[in-house]
Order: sequence, then structure tokens, then C-alpha cells
Amino acid sequence: MTATAALPLALLLTSLVPALVIFALPEEREGTRTTVNMVGAIAKVVLSGMLVVGVLEGQVYEWRMPLLPGADLILRVDSIPLLFVSLSAVLWLTTTVYAIGYLEGDAHRSRFFGFFSLCVTATIGIALAGNLLTFLLFYELLTVATYPLVVHRGDAAAIAGGRSYLLYAVTGGAVLLAGIVWLHALAGPVAFLEPGLDDLALGQGPALTAIFALLIAGLAVKAAVVPLHGWLPQAMVAPAPVSALLHAVAVVKAGAYGIVRITYDLYGQALATSLGLLTPLAVLAAITIVYGSLRALAEDDLKKRLAFSTVSQLSYIILGVGLASVTGATGGLAHLVHQGIQKVTLFYCAGNFAKAIGVKRVSEMDGVGRRLPVTTATFTVAALGMIGIPPTAGFVTKWHLGLGSLDAGQGWVLAVLVASSLLNAAYFLPAIARAWFAPGEAPRQPELGAERRALSWWLLAPPVATAASVLVFGLLAGMPLSPLSLAALIAEEVLAR
Amino acid sequence: MTPTLAWLAPVLVPLVGALLVRLPGRAWPWLLPLAPLPAGALALAGAPGPPPELGWVLLDARLLLDPVGRALLAMTALLWAAAGLAAQARAVERRGFAVLWLLTLAGNVGLLLAGDVATFYTLFALMTFAAYGLVVDDRSAEALRAGRVYVVLAVLGESALLAGFLLAVGEAGGALDLTVVRGAVADSAQRDLVIGLLLAGFAVKAGVVPLHGWLPLAHPAAPVPASAVLSGAMLKAGLLGWLRLVPLEEATLPGWSATLVTVGLLSAFAGVAIGLTQREAKVVLAYSSVSQMGFVALLVGVAASGPEASAAGVAAAVAYAVHHGLAKGALFLGVGMVGDRGGRWRRRLVVAGLALPALALAGLPLSSGALAKVWAKDALALAPGGWPEPVTTALSLAAVGTTLLMARLAWVLRGTPAKSEPSAGRDVAWAVVLAAVAGATWALPSVLGPAVALPAPSLDLLVDALWPVALGAAIAGLAWRLAGRTATTVPEVPAGDVVVAAESALRRLTAWWRGRGAPALGRLVALADRSRRRAAGLLAAGGAVERVDLRLTRWRTAGALFGLVTAALLATLLLPAG
Repeated sequence: MTATAALPLALLLTSLVPALVIFALPEEREGTRTTVNMVGAIAKVVLSGMLVVGVLEGQVYEWRMPLLPGADLILRVDSIPLLFVSLSAVLWLTTTVYAIGYLEGDAHRSRFFGFFSLCVTATIGIALAGNLLTFLLFYELLTVATYPLVVHRGDAAAIAGGRSYLLYAVTGGAVLLAGIVWLHALAGPVAFLEPGLDDLALGQGPALTAIFALLIAGLAVKAAVVPLHGWLPQAMVAPAPVSALLHAVAVVKAGAYGIVRITYDLYGQALATSLGLLTPLAVLAAITIVYGSLRALAEDDLKKRLAFSTVSQLSYIILGVGLASVTGATGGLAHLVHQGIQKVTLFYCAGNFAKAIGVKRVSEMDGVGRRLPVTTATFTVAALGMIGIPPTAGFVTKWHLGLGSLDAGQGWVLAVLVASSLLNAAYFLPAIARAWFAPGEAPRQPELGAERRALSWWLLAPPVATAASVLVFGLLAGMPLSPLSLAALIAEEVLAR
Repeated sequence: MTPTLAWLAPVLVPLVGALLVRLPGRAWPWLLPLAPLPAGALALAGAPGPPPELGWVLLDARLLLDPVGRALLAMTALLWAAAGLAAQARAVERRGFAVLWLLTLAGNVGLLLAGDVATFYTLFALMTFAAYGLVVDDRSAEALRAGRVYVVLAVLGESALLAGFLLAVGEAGGALDLTVVRGAVADSAQRDLVIGLLLAGFAVKAGVVPLHGWLPLAHPAAPVPASAVLSGAMLKAGLLGWLRLVPLEEATLPGWSATLVTVGLLSAFAGVAIGLTQREAKVVLAYSSVSQMGFVALLVGVAASGPEASAAGVAAAVAYAVHHGLAKGALFLGVGMVGDRGGRWRRRLVVAGLALPALALAGLPLSSGALAKVWAKDALALAPGGWPEPVTTALSLAAVGTTLLMARLAWVLRGTPAKSEPSAGRDVAWAVVLAAVAGATWALPSVLGPAVALPAPSLDLLVDALWPVALGAAIAGLAWRLAGRTATTVPEVPAGDVVVAAESALRRLTAWWRGRGAPALGRLVALADRSRRRAAGLLAAGGAVERVDLRLTRWRTAGALFGLVTAALLATLLLPAG
């Protein structure tokens, strides 16, 4: 097996092997478990770094083998997977660190970290999937691997949340399967990047449109597009690290990523435009953006507010896909990363607030900034990013989506973006203002020492790192290898073919 | 110092300073007066070479230093340095105040140097949001309300700006350079929409009627030094925004010119009228700022009227802004010292010191205000059409109003009890700003020329400048005497005027929403949830999901099975293909 084939596989194994080892480990072997977790996570980051360098040099990493007659299992790294793979690898590392600190002393940690690693394995599989069959396989794997994480607490609310998640996800998977089978029947085996659907467009336009609708509907469940978003706020019963992973990397991102893949690498920009598929997609995203923000506004529970915010923010990515312009696509692809680092930070912070001082609602956040200054500072940066205030990463996204919508002649999107910014400001700024400026029982001066006593470095380092990246990716957006630069390269290439 | 460092230090020094506030030791409060010095040095020395290439920063950031920027930068740096000296005591009490102070400073000086839209917007936003912390510093209910009003208006303004920036840059084909963007806006088919959004967005910051409501609330709430920079320096960011993005010289905009002149006059007179009814010194000063920024908006309107008047209009607007910034800064700092203990002579000195910027605002001959007004009239004389003449007269009448407003300030300040301790830092700070107020008359022509020059002294000029002040003083004297004898009082307009009306409308709307709207939406959402659950229930018929559920909860079985299947799958992957 050549090196170019081994690398994608190795990327998968860096979390699958830890998963299996951890399942085999007895509960009390904490040190070993931590070591295995960290070694796997760091190895994955290193490997994905090698991939980035390789792919930018024009290398294509591919591994395939026959699975069913006429349908290969393909793992491949080309331009679009690059963003998702590096995002997943890096955020898996930070979230593992966070989870180790968060669950310190909890029961069932073997189970938790085992499924945690499996969940990331599935995500990487989704990222690397070179055709729909491989994609579906890992997509279903993800559903199953995430379930035990959602119900980790084991109480009635957790079971109910998990059930709802499973119901939605399995149904979504079934719809996706239907779409894939139909496409297979119509076009035979098609892989991403080697579509050959264009020839069908003449006679089978309506069928292709219907298949697109099925595929997108199946994916939209995980991407929490309105009206298929109901499971996401309920899944909030999961522990903070799981929510972080769910909202930033694994589940919802897998849905959005699938939509990106299918539009750009299966149908292709040109075909999707000629079939008139993009504008409905953009409209759907716009509705979701506004609706999610409206619901977030009404939630007092911090994690629920964040969940509805995810519903809204994720559709920025889909909106970028729906805008048939390079700048718009750049914004959408960059948001794949930007939304991830911002939302993961917010969930780390929500976890820290709850763990250190029992604050779970926005209305309880008075004076939190003086009690947990570091956590609140990172919360502030990430929340400003969500609103899209410069110089955060979120601003870079919004800017490109706005310019892209003008390039595409879809000026109405501008109104959606402005409305979304206003709504985001309306539900994030009061929380920030409360935390820093509301008079409360909190001490007068910030107490760094108290925060360090309440939260270990495992819990503080991850939000600091991700919040710093929110600033760096915005402030140095023009830097080579920044998410924006990568997204711009990819968008250029994808829309040219 | 290398040129690159000289360009970047005005922003970097306060930013790094904000991080250093956490340091132990007693030296850090000096960051407040010292951090604006690199900006001041750059303004005085001029560009030390071509601006540095900052391709990695933001979206290819550019810097720019032109005469407009230099004049405003010099005033801004001086004001921040002096106010920083006065703010040291507050910073020692609460270090968070110092952090936000330095962040606001970084934004304020940085936006004056920004050469592209993204950099400008970034630093503008930094200033806007960090300044929230200065407004609510007191943490009292009034301060928090002022902060709320400030931030709501600011966010609305920024939204208009975002849309305006995007449309403008879209017209420029994605180019961000301010000069290019201005040119593109001038030739754009959607020119009026873009200009409308930009004018309105920046008008919030400039504090022009009807978007001025935050000013009279924020000023009394903020600590004195913060009010000084807020009114003196930060309002001018709105002016710079207009000058940087609206194509005043590239296009003739008669409609927008008329709008700005009207709005400017309205602000000038409404500020005086409402200010005269106020009973608190800082609120009087806030309304005076509304009135004075009306003059500035009017001059921008003159600059928009056509190519003949644009250069002179811009120069006059900037001169007016610099003059007002220094004078208002000195007034705020001085008002904070009226209540100092220290005997009769000290108080007399403070009153004399306050008289200088107050008379400068009114436009007393030889003051910077008189100069700015001469330039304003010169610019008006160049504007096409028949409207400049009555507007010129109106300007003189507004100067009468300004004199009255300053008399009102003296009235509300009389009898202020002496209870605060004098501090050397505040005294020095105030002396520096007063010296700048006095010197501005001679500094302005050299910075802003050649579009404007120091006028030759003449009797006409003297009379022109003197009569509004004299008339105002006469009316004020009469009112002062009458006030001692009659019991009639003018009812006070609540500070924030339009905002107060908006707040009560909002309260009614909220009450309606709680009573009717929200339950209705709740019913709708509940209906949607129910139907979603019903659909889900149909799919789950037979309890298949529950069974899967139950089995998966037995995690060891599931985990083992799962791991095995996956491992087997991947083992097949490792076999040689074919």
C-alpha cells in the first residue's frame, strides 16, 4: 500500500484504535485512558497537518476497495474534505482535553470515551468519503456512535432526548438511502468529483431534481434545517463536551458538509444551477437563519439558546452553497471552520459556568465575568464572533456571504444577514453585558485565583485556545492557510469546474 | 523607530497596554495618559514613509494619513492623553475601566488611520463596543439604562453600516480601498441607497437629530474623563465615516446635501432648545454637542452640494470638529473640577478656565470657534443655489443659541457644593486642553490649508463674530435677572427626549407581546411541535425505535458489537484490493 493510500486510512485509525483500546480498558485505568486518548488525538492533528501540506502541493490521497458489486468503498482527500478533516482533528483534540477535565470523577468514563472516539472516527470517515455509499456508511455509524453520548447521564430527560435524536437521525438516514438508491439505479455508480451526471440532465432533469431533494432532505435532518431541527434543542441534555462536539464538529457539521459535497462534488455547481436547485436551497437556509435566531431569543436556558443559535448559524454554510458565486462559496466554506471554533468555545464556556458556579441560565449570569474572568472573556470573543463583529472569524464569514450575494445578484440575502446580526446581537449582547457589568453579589474585582481553583487547566485551556483562534482567523484572515484563504482557493477551484 | 512601527504604534501601544493593566506594580496607570502619545507623534510628524503592507491582516489592511486624518488625530490624541491623566484615579479603583479605556482608545485613533473599509469597520466597532463599558462604569440603574440605549442605537447604526459597506464594496467589485470605494459609490446605480445607509449609520455616532438620543443619557452617566473623550473625540468618528465613504468630492449630491443641511440646522436648534431646559451640567453639555454636531453635519451637506464647495466644506467641517472636540473636552474636564475644594481663588480660576472654551464655542473673535465659523460661511458662499444665504443667517442665530446654552451651563453650575478633592493630574490635564483650545486658531490653517486660510482681520469680521455672542449674552443677562424675581420655570424636557418616547412605546409593545403576541406564537409553536411528534410517532410504529434504544443502553453489548463490526470492516479495507 502506497503512502498516499495509507494516510487516509491512518487518519481513521488514529481514533478507531483508541476507541477499541478504551472499550477494553477497565473503568479505573484513568491514566492509561487519558494517554491513549491524547496520543490518538495528537497523532490525528499531525496527520491532518501532513494532509493539508500534501493536498496544497497537488497530491491526491485515495484509498479504495470493492465493497458491493459496482460500488467501491473510497476514502479520498481532495480540496473540500481538507477543511473538514483539519477542523475535526483539531477540535477533537481540544474537546478530548476538555472532556477529560469535565468528566473527572464521573461514572462510565470508559463507555463515554470509547464512543467519543468512535464518533470522531465516523466524522473523519464522512469527511474522507469518496462516494455516496462510503458517506452513508459512516453517516449511519455516526448516528449510532453519538447516541450513547447523548444519553450519557442516563436519566429520563437524557433518554427522551436520545430517543428523539435517534428517531430523527434514523429517518433522515432512510431518506438519504432512498435518494442514493434511486441515483444508483439511474446513473450507476457515481463517485464524488467524477460525476457524469451532466449527460443525464437532458432527459432526466426532473428525476435528478427529485433525487437532489431527497439527498438534501436526508442531510438536512442532521444539519438541523428548519423544520427538521427539532432534535437538536432536545439533545441539549448531553454533557457539555458532547454538546460541543455535536454542535461544532460531528453531527450537525456532517449534515452541512454532506450538502456541500453533494452540491459541489456530485452534482457540480453548473448542473445544480441549470436545474435551478440553488436558489431554493438559499431560501431554505435564509428561513432557518432567521427562525433559529428568533427561537434563540426566547430561550433563557444558556445551552438551549446556544442550540437554536446553531440551527441558525449552520445555515450560513448552506446559504454560501446556495449563492452561485465564488465569494459566497468562500464565505460558506470558511464558516464550516468558523462556526465550529466559535460554537465549540461557547459550549466549553456553558460547561464551565455550570460546573464551576452552577449557572445554567442567561438570567443567572449577573457578575459572572468577575467570578470566572477567563471563561467569560472567551465566551465574549466567541459570542461577538457569532454576531459577526469584526475582527472575529464570524465577521469574515458574514462579509463574504454578503459580497457573494451581491455578486450572485441575490441582494435580498443582505437583508437576511443584517436581520440575523441584529437578532444575534439581541440574544448574545445581553448575556455579555450581564456577565461583565451587572451589579451582583460577585466580587468587585475579577478573581483569577478563584477561577483557577474552581476549574482545572483541562477546562480552561481548550476555550482559551479556540477563542484565540476565533480572533486570529479574523484578524489574520489574509494569512496563507487561514480558513478564509483555504476556502477561497477551494471555492475558486470548485466553481471553475 | 522604523516607519512601520511608527504607523502601527498608535493602535498597538493601547492594545498591548490593555493587556499590561493586569501587571502588578504601580506604574500601569501611566498607560492611560501615555498610550495616545504615539498617535500624537504620528499626527505631528506626518507620515514617516509609505504605509506598511499588511496583506495578512484582516482583508488586506491598508493605512492612510491625509490632512483630514492628521487634524483629527492630533486633536484625538491630545484629548485622550489629557483625559487619561484625569482618569487615572478611576482606573486605580477599577482595572476593568482601564482595560476598556485603552481598547476604546485603540479603536478611536486606529479608525482615523484606516485606509480600507474592513480596517475602518473593525476599529470603529472596537471603539463602539468597548465604550459601552465606559458608559456603564457607574453600574447604577441610570448608567445601565444609558448603556442599553447606547448599545441599541449603536447596533442599529452598525447594521446600517454593514449593509452600506457591503453594497459599496460590491459596487467596487470587491475592492476595499477607501478611495476606490468612494469612486465606485459615486458611479453606482444604487448610489442613493448606499449613501443613505452610510449617512444614517454614521449619524448615530455623530449624535445628529433624530439619532442623538443616546448622548444626553450617556454623558451624565459616564465618568467625567470618559464624557470628555466621548463628546470630544468619539463623536467625530461619525464625521470621519462620512468623509471617508460618501463621495463628497467625486459626485454632486443635491438631495443629500439638502437633507444634511436640514438635519444639521434641526440639530443645531433642537440641541439648544432642549438643552436650555436641562438642570444638570453634563446634560446641558450633551445637548450642546448635539447642537454643535449639527453644524458639522450642515457643513458636510455644503460639501455635498457640488464640486465648487466640496473642498472648502470638508475643511470647514473638520476645522469645526477639531475646534468643538477641544472646547467640549475642556468643558467636560472643567465641569468635573467646579466642585473641587480649595478656596475662592481656585474656584475663580476654574470659572475663568471654563469661560475660555465656552466663549470659543459661542464664536468669540480670535477663538477657534470664530475661525471655524468664518470658514463655514466661506464654504456656504461657494455653494450653488439660493439657499446658502438664509442658512448663513441661521448659523449666526444658532451662535446666539450657543451663547445662551453656555449661560445656562453657568446657571446650573452656580452654587455647586465643594466636596471633591482637587488632584494635580486633573489640573495639568485641563491646563493642557485649555492651551490647545487657545492655540487651535493658529494651528488649524497650517494643517488644513490650502483650501482654507487664516482670514485677514477686518471690522466686518469682528462685528460678524461679535453680535451673536453679544446678543446671546444680553438675553442671558436679562433672563438671569428675571429668574431671580419670577417664579416661572420652564418644564424640563426629559434627557434623551426621543428615546424616552421610544422607550414608552416599546414598553407598551412588550406588554402587548406578553399579553397577546407571545401566547399566540406559543400556541403556533406548540402546534408545530405536536404535528412533528405525531409524524415521528407514525414512523416509530411498532416500537422498533424503543427496542433499539433499550439495547443500545446496554452499552457494553453495543460497544463491543459496534467496535467488532467496524474493525472487521476496516480489516477488509487493509486487504490488497482486487
